[in-house]
Amino acid sequence: MSIAFNQISKVFADGTVALDRLDLEFDRGEFIVLLGPSGSGKTTACRILAGLEQATSGVISIDGRDVTRLPPRERNMSMVFQNYALYGHKTVFDNIAYPLRVRKIGRNSIGTKVHEVARLLQIESYLDRRPSQLSGGQAQRVAVARALVWNPDICLMDEPLSNLDALLRLQTRTELKRLHSDLGHTFLFVTHDQEEAMTLGTKIAVLNEGQLVQFDIPRRIYHEPSSRFVAEFIGRPAMNIIDGEINNGMFQAAGGFQIDVENQPDGPVAMGIRPEQILVSGTQTKQTIEFELDVIELVEPDTLLFVKKGGVNMVVRVMRDMGQIERGATVHLALPHAHRHFFELADGRRRW
Amino acid sequence: MARAWRTAALAAVIAVLLLLLLPYLWIFLTSFKTRLDALADVPVWVFTPTYDHYPEVFINKGYLPLVWNSIIVAVLSTALSLVVGAPAAYVFARFDFTGREDLFFFFLTTRMAPPISVVVPMFLLFTTLGITDKPIAVILAHTTFNLSLVVWMMRGFFNDIPREIDEAAMMDGHSQLGTFLKILIPLAAPGLAATAVLCFILSWNEFLYAFILVAFEGRTLTVGIPGLITPHGTLWGQVAAVAVVATLPILVFTFIVQRHLVRGLTFGAVKG
Repeated sequence: MSIAFNQISKVFADGTVALDRLDLEFDRGEFIVLLGPSGSGKTTACRILAGLEQATSGVISIDGRDVTRLPPRERNMSMVFQNYALYGHKTVFDNIAYPLRVRKIGRNSIGTKVHEVARLLQIESYLDRRPSQLSGGQAQRVAVARALVWNPDICLMDEPLSNLDALLRLQTRTELKRLHSDLGHTFLFVTHDQEEAMTLGTKIAVLNEGQLVQFDIPRRIYHEPSSRFVAEFIGRPAMNIIDGEINNGMFQAAGGFQIDVENQPDGPVAMGIRPEQILVSGTQTKQTIEFELDVIELVEPDTLLFVKKGGVNMVVRVMRDMGQIERGATVHLALPHAHRHFFELADGRRRW
Repeated sequence: MARAWRTAALAAVIAVLLLLLLPYLWIFLTSFKTRLDALADVPVWVFTPTYDHYPEVFINKGYLPLVWNSIIVAVLSTALSLVVGAPAAYVFARFDFTGREDLFFFFLTTRMAPPISVVVPMFLLFTTLGITDKPIAVILAHTTFNLSLVVWMMRGFFNDIPREIDEAAMMDGHSQLGTFLKILIPLAAPGLAATAVLCFILSWNEFLYAFILVAFEGRTLTVGIPGLITPHGTLWGQVAAVAVVATLPILVFTFIVQRHLVRGLTFGAVKG
């Protein structure tokens, strides 16, 4: 029971390569997130799965059945659009009921199903309204209700939260998560927001320039990014990555920065460490390095320290108030071996 | 100050209304005037009305079927233009194909030739087909100019509907055709109504094509009116009676679609 992209490529009429031999396979019941910057091909992948766009080459299969040439209506998928795409001339009830009507479901059962899904999404009191009388959050719920009411095989969501304001986005995110664990539906969710991806996905597919960069569970995406791109894309503030070279167990970078490393062969390398995994020490020890504090940002409850040493700049995220600390002060930082990442300087691949 | 502006605006509106409605009022009054009153040197506003013109022209002179012809021609040419033009406009709005803009412009060029230059070839063509003097000839002729109007106006309306609506309908289980008929047409209804009104009025008022293509049975009202210009002078009372009746369907039709018309004419109509 799985959905698979096999060597899917998409070249648009103007020559843009949106997808380049994408291979991706996932099981039913998963909450898959397609994550990538704009132009990474994530929306195109979603639309090709929906049948709204035709792949230039490659095969889409569902449970082993080739659906590549099937029109959207024969694929048993629903979709939630970024701008909701509700039918303005129909009431909320009729909007939700519409996929059932098109599929010729009996009148009685339509009423039951619509009320059931409306209750689930807490929109029962708006059923008589028109889409133009709804707020963004309400319209979003109606769109989700319309996508879930007929129990499709997969529910596709193309950046459904990006038109909501920040607080509502968080609430809706939590609700989607709850919906998924309650219903056990299969979701494919497209976003450029790494935080959304990390919280929602049971698995995340990171795309860049039309290619799949990493497909894994969120924890591994965060702790073992397969490339420098993933490492920098996931996590805010972004991972500190220092270009340098390893010589005899010492990592050396511009401006005389150097630090000892474990179990790494010599050669040019980029070393990364996440801002939240750097330890700030009160005193100098064997493991610490002295940095000069450049800028301090208080982002309650965290503190961001922008430090520099020679030609190396780093961000440190400290989860407490640093008290009185001035620009230009010396801070002692430890970079734990277990949290360091090493990437090939040439192509950004992870060194394992 | 605001009060003064209000009064001024009101005066302006009244002036415009008078300007627009006075000719109509004059025609309406003339249709009840005797020949003597109608041709009086100083316009007569108070007179003893005569009710002879209406029965004379519509019953005795047999103009009643002309009303029917005009309605048939205007309704069917409007319907035909919409049925053919709206799907074409949808294709122009949604599908990308080679030469799209050229073809779109071609639709406009069909209106650039003066009608007088195409009416004779059209007459010969319809004679060969054996349909001159039948309403169908005028319907087809009127469709030639209404079609481009529909394609140009409706493309703008379809462009205003987000593509995601089509896609949502297809995900909901519709085919491309189902999407167009069940979702796009209802959403574009205000635009369709506005376009229909314009088509109807253009066809209803059209004289040249109708005058050349039909002579007896198939005559429309516009063609009928010149028949009231006799060697003994123009029968102004009867002309006015026909004119009054001729404006009624447009009034009725416009009032029916008025609700849509305002929305339709202000939203997207000028885009293309």
